[in-house]
Order: sequence, then C-alpha cells, then structure tokens
Amino acid sequence: MAETIAPERFALLVEQAGLKLDRERFEELRQGYRFVERMRQTVRRPRDPAAEPAHIFVHPRA
Amino acid sequence: MDPSQLTIAEAARAIAEQNLSPVALVESYLERIDALDGELHSFVLVLREQALAAARAAEREIAAGRRQGPLHGIPIALKDIYKTRGVRTTAGSRRYATHIPEEDAESWVRLRSAGAILIGKNETHEFAIGGPDFGLPFPPARNPWNTAHYPAGSSSGSAVAVAAGLCAAAMGSDTGGSIRGPAAYCGIVGLKPTYGRVSRRGVFPLSYTLDHCGPLTRTVEDCAIMMQALAAYDPLDPASADAPAPDYRRALGAGLDGATIGVIRHFHERDAVAGFGPDNAPSAAYAEAFAEACHTLESLGARLVDLKLSPLIDYADTNRLIMLAEAYALHERDFRERPEVFGRHMFARIGLGAFLSAADYVEATRRRRELCREFARALEPVDVAISANATGPAPRIDAVTTYGVYERASYTAPYNLTGAPALSVPIGFENDLPLAFQIVGRPFGEAAVLRVGNAFEQATEFRRRRPEIAASLPARRAATD
Repeated sequence: MAETIAPERFALLVEQAGLKLDRERFEELRQGYRFVERMRQTVRRPRDPAAEPAHIFVHPRA
Repeated sequence: MDPSQLTIAEAARAIAEQNLSPVALVESYLERIDALDGELHSFVLVLREQALAAARAAEREIAAGRRQGPLHGIPIALKDIYKTRGVRTTAGSRRYATHIPEEDAESWVRLRSAGAILIGKNETHEFAIGGPDFGLPFPPARNPWNTAHYPAGSSSGSAVAVAAGLCAAAMGSDTGGSIRGPAAYCGIVGLKPTYGRVSRRGVFPLSYTLDHCGPLTRTVEDCAIMMQALAAYDPLDPASADAPAPDYRRALGAGLDGATIGVIRHFHERDAVAGFGPDNAPSAAYAEAFAEACHTLESLGARLVDLKLSPLIDYADTNRLIMLAEAYALHERDFRERPEVFGRHMFARIGLGAFLSAADYVEATRRRRELCREFARALEPVDVAISANATGPAPRIDAVTTYGVYERASYTAPYNLTGAPALSVPIGFENDLPLAFQIVGRPFGEAAVLRVGNAFEQATEFRRRRPEIAASLPARRAATD
C-alpha cells in the first residue's frame, strides 16, 4: 500500500483539480489518496493495443 | 393472524381468497412503523394517507374480480433515490432536501402497475455512497438485530424496513454491493439483477455503468414475485436490455438434482488477506457457515466444483476506480462550487475521483473487459456459482470509517463489474447477527440463481429466525408487560 502523499504535493493536485478545500477536508482527502494510487496500480498494466475498453459506443435507437 | 408477519406470497394468497384486506395489511405496517421506526430510522417519509387510499382502491378492485396478481395490495417501500412524482425525493442529501420530482422511477411505475402500494421512502446513504453519516438531515438506519450495529449500505433503510417487518419488500440500488451488503447484515434476501434487466430510469445515478436496481425481500420466492413485475425492457433507459423475462416463480420448484455449482472460494480464503491485509480474514464462524452451506447444496443433489478467477482486488479496485470516475464527473460542479452541500463521507469518498486521469479511467474499462471475458468463460461449465458476501457479522455503527469502503475487501463488487446477477441469501449467525453468501449467475440467469437460492432456503432454517424487533406488536407488548 502506498504511503500518504506529502501535503505540498497533494496541494498541487488539489489546485489542478480546481477544488477549494478547508483544512479538514484537505487532510481527509490527502489520507484517502493512497487508495487512488492502489486502484491505479491495480488496473494499469501493459496491454495489447487491441485490448478494447468495456464501454464501446453503441448506436442509440431512434 | 398478524398480517405484517406474512411473506408476500402468503399475503397474496390471503388477499386472493379475500381472507385479508389490503387496508388491514397497510394498517398493520403503519402501526409497526409508528411503534418501531423511532429506534430504527428506516423511513425518511411515510405516505400514510396515500397508502391507505391505495389500499382501499385495491380492496375495491379485488372485490370486483379485478385482481392484478400477487403484488396487488402489497405495501412496499423505495430507497429515497427512486424518484416519486409529487413526493419528496432527497437522495439522502441536503442538495435535494426539498426536491419534488415531476416523474416516477420506471421500476416504481412497474410495481404500481402490478398493484403494489407505496408505504414510504427509505433512508439511504447520501447519493448511495456517503454513509452512515450522522451529520445529514436524516439519521442513519440501525440494524434491527442489534441497533448498536450497522445495517450496511447504501440501501440501509430498505433492508432494515424489510427485516424489521415494516413493509413487505423494498427497492434498493447496487453499484458495489448496496443491495447485497444490507441484505447480508440484516438477514434477508437481496438481488442485484443483471445489468440492463431492471430499468434505472428515474433513479439518482451514482455510476452509470455499474448501477443496478433490485429488490430486498424476506424470502427468495418474494424476490421472484418482485422480479416478475420489474424485469422488462425500457426503451428510455439506454442500458435496458430487450430480452424476454422468464417465469421466475415457476423456476423455483426445479430443485438441484444434476445442477453444477461453481465455488469461488479463493476470494475469501486467500485474496482478501493477500490484497487487503490481515484484518480481512473471514471469521471462523463465517468459514464454518460457508462450508456448511456448500454441504447443504451437495446434499440437495448439486455437484460443486472450484472456480478460479483473477484475484479479488482486481475486480474490486477496477469497480471502485470506474465508480469514482463516473460519480465524480456527475457531481464535479458541486464539488468545485459548493462543497459544503455534501456530507463528510460523500465528500471524502467521491472527492477522490478528482485526482483520476482520463487514462486511468480508460485503463480501468480495458481491465473491465478482460475480467468480464474471464468471468464469462469461468461460468460456462456451471449453472451458477457461489461466493462469499461480508465474511463476518455487522460491525458496530460507530466503528464504520470513511475509507473502510476502499480499505476492505468487497465480495460484491465483482458482480457489478461483470453485470452478472447476484443474490444474497442468509447462511447462519455469529453473535446473534446474520451471515450470508451470494449465488451468482450468467447474465440474464436470474431464474437459475433464484432456483438455487430457493432450494437452499427451503433446506435450511435461517429464514425462520427473525430479529426480536420483528415480532408481532401484541407479542412484543405481552413480552414487556
């Protein structure tokens, strides 16, 4: 499991996301960010370029 | 006879024979809600006058020989994310605290057309993810087996109301386990149908590609009765499947002779601890109950074979990443412009979606396709599979943490990801709190899942044990006098 992200680094991510957080919510999200890193690590792996996503486009009915 | 003690099937028979009036049935549930829900908090709105008026109308129709079927005159409830025309629908959030929809959820339209009566709206986690949150306008529902304990969520009020005998059945929604988790902790039956089997139209979305609507009931037979009304093509729900619905109730009697059942045991026996840490080991009582459930299925004539899938964390985290991305996209504007409108859990759990990239989301959907293919192949040689549900009893409600939903193993998420039908059925008790497993099918295999669930239920006594609070009111009063 990843370690908790440093406050300075997380502040950049928060700014990029366009969020304005009070101290309490900033800290709570910072503590939870390690789960995003775990999920990312779980799903990202080398794949054949032909491996299509699950959500392909389907023509809607008229 | 206390009508609130009857299952839907039993009440329907009594109503058909005109031995039970829908008015008496509604009145018995209303009396129970008045007496008990102050402690359970399973309803956020009780539709007393409307329910009684609908019951009187049902009584007239049935007396005139126009009975519509087994749901005619049966009081049910809806999770408060199901839109109800002219009736407040809050999604458990301050954001919609006074919201009065102009349309009904399609699944409620179908139940009403089958004669069901809406008795009220059930407490839900905020937007079906943020709970139990003591800072929201409605207090979290409590487990009827022990009110100090958590009923699970997010269809918490729906499960509690059914388990405590405050309505005959209720509708929930399930994006990662929100029907089956509460069904397990409350000791009732909960079905997440196949993706596309039941319309999602008119239900507040959490995650478009993972959301499912389904029933919570006291028995598998009642679940089949509800599904008969719910399973239909809805051309206005883009995910709805144009597939015929079989006779679910007829499938129940088929027994298990010659059935082959896959057992996905590595999820709880190995993967939970390997992927999520030692706190996720199944309790000894759960392991024993699961093993005993396997023996019961074998004794009924089924052949059990082990199935091997990718590790549980692959299914659970792929589901969670997709859910996070889709849910955050839905609420992004409010997260940026008025974050104070959200409760603490909703904000913390979905706010993490702000930090995902487009590539993360696409990679998760590619992993999803791989896992769906693997799952379909694994289920080819079997009729259904069984899999753990929560692997221990309900925790205390004050022990539930904000990020427990991501920290802990989820045994339910794999079937949201694959869109497969999954039924939670009770398999035992630990410390007087219920335990459950899941019966999982191929897409559109609800009939097979219900058949196995019914055979198991009929062969065991778990459905007969109900929480003390579910006892009839006269019996409760006599016990306290």
